[in-house]
Amino acid sequence: MTDSALHLDVRAVTVTYPNGNIALRDASFRLDGGTVCALVGVNGSGKSTLFKAIMGFVRPSKGEVLVFGDDIQAAQKRNLVAYVPQSEEVDWTFPVSVWDVVMMGRYGYMNFLRIPRAEDRRVVEESLTRVGMLEFRDRQIGELSGGQKKRVFLARALAQRGRIILLDEPFTGVDVGTETAIIELLRDLRRDGHLMLVSTHNLGSVPEFCDQVVLVNRTVLAYGPTAEVFTEDNLTQAFGGVLRHFRFDESTVQPHDGRTVTVLTDDERPLVFGKGGHLEYSHRQGREQIVRERAEKPDDE
Amino acid sequence: MTELLTPFHYEYMLKAIFVSGLIGGVCAFLSCFVTLKGWSLMGDALSHAVVPGVAVAYLAGWPFTAGAFITGLLAALGMGFVKRKTRLREDAVIGVIFTSFFAVGILLISLYPTSIDLRTIILGNILGISDGDIWQIVIISVVTLVILGAKWRDLLLFCFDPQQARALGLNVTGLNLLLLTLLSATTVAALQAVGATLVVAMLVTPGATAYLLTDRFGKMLGLAVSMGVGTSLVGAYASYFFDGSTGGCIVTLQSALFVVALVFAPKHGLIAARTQRHAAA
Repeated sequence: MTDSALHLDVRAVTVTYPNGNIALRDASFRLDGGTVCALVGVNGSGKSTLFKAIMGFVRPSKGEVLVFGDDIQAAQKRNLVAYVPQSEEVDWTFPVSVWDVVMMGRYGYMNFLRIPRAEDRRVVEESLTRVGMLEFRDRQIGELSGGQKKRVFLARALAQRGRIILLDEPFTGVDVGTETAIIELLRDLRRDGHLMLVSTHNLGSVPEFCDQVVLVNRTVLAYGPTAEVFTEDNLTQAFGGVLRHFRFDESTVQPHDGRTVTVLTDDERPLVFGKGGHLEYSHRQGREQIVRERAEKPDDE
Repeated sequence: MTELLTPFHYEYMLKAIFVSGLIGGVCAFLSCFVTLKGWSLMGDALSHAVVPGVAVAYLAGWPFTAGAFITGLLAALGMGFVKRKTRLREDAVIGVIFTSFFAVGILLISLYPTSIDLRTIILGNILGISDGDIWQIVIISVVTLVILGAKWRDLLLFCFDPQQARALGLNVTGLNLLLLTLLSATTVAALQAVGATLVVAMLVTPGATAYLLTDRFGKMLGLAVSMGVGTSLVGAYASYFFDGSTGGCIVTLQSALFVVALVFAPKHGLIAARTQRHAAA
């Protein structure tokens, strides 16, 4: 029996590799459709193993992964889980065009010979339009910019009609402008009820576009709404000692600097906590409610 | 003028030209996948690994294709096994295993020199090919072409993005095995035409040349197959006149086309790259 509303249920999943390494132990979380969820953890924390388990590439030695209440093989047959690979994993010199790549998302709907029908062409065209890449349809994939490449693979996930979209480090090698464009697109898809799981090590970008977070370190440490899960304590637990801190109260920043302190980082967004450990966002726009609430507290001026 | 038609008066020449063209085409088709998957070394390995199989088949009186095919697959599976179970890198694994098979083959042939001719296996002997062998080659080629014609899109996705293939529920292990099997079968077929040492050229060069000439897989296939068939027909025909090795003739022509493409290819050739650098400077 399948449930009607989209949800992804990871239940007590343990993954053991043939060499005896336990990559993930007793990992559990549940996500519903209409979310952009970050999967956060250090390298080797089991992020990619969790991805593989959700895609059905590795079989959990214990536990199960359910989509719409069904097992992953059933979800695969219905093309429900789509994957946007990391840029480094793709051979960009491969002789395929943008159109060809997006058409590869349709294979699951085609017959034995994989000959595209009118419906397949229509869906591919629609998906390319959606990500704003239709005019590049005849380009060889290596002739695109970093952000355009990402959008092509997102279009492939859309053409596949995947309801769950897994994105592996979507912002590496992408400039800030296109990062914003991709985030905008993810928000659109969230409105349509898609479930997006984004593997990232770029902490600062998480509060900007993810409404939920799954924290991983060999198991699921915590999951839920970003503001609740993204706490200094949880992050310290997930990252051990590898996070770098800059504490304003211990720094040379003085009261006369007021709030006119500028924080720059080389390529990743900084993650900023306010007094008492609440998350700070880079823009007030769209967060008026939070600003108002916090302003009401007497100790926050 | 009539002199140019002389080869066509001999039945053995007609057969040689036909068989070469057929094998050239099949090998070229596969060469596109071999180049894109990065399996050139694998092709080289397989072409040497079939030698002991041919030797055993001749000694036992089986069809040579059966023996060759079995040792070819054994070598491929062996390489997969050793690579998975040890920390050795792939090139070392391939290097060790294919030379082992090849050595056993040469040893067997040297022990029973009367029943098999080393030169035939190593260098090919298409002019002396028997009708039985021709039939084996035709059957292998037709089956391979039918399978490739039906499954090339799946194989393309498997080469480009195996993760996506798996996510869509395609049988990736099966596709891997299929490509390996086709490669072994084709190697066996090509053995007679150009010999074990030059098979790898037929399985790599047309695809590599076509890759320099285009950015579209469809065109790459078309170009590679035309070049494969063309060079094989012309090579077999031309070998009549200067009485040279047929395999040598075919592969030299293929290499010549490669060099032309390397220099003059419109986008990825040396001259084009130079012009682009100047334009950028």
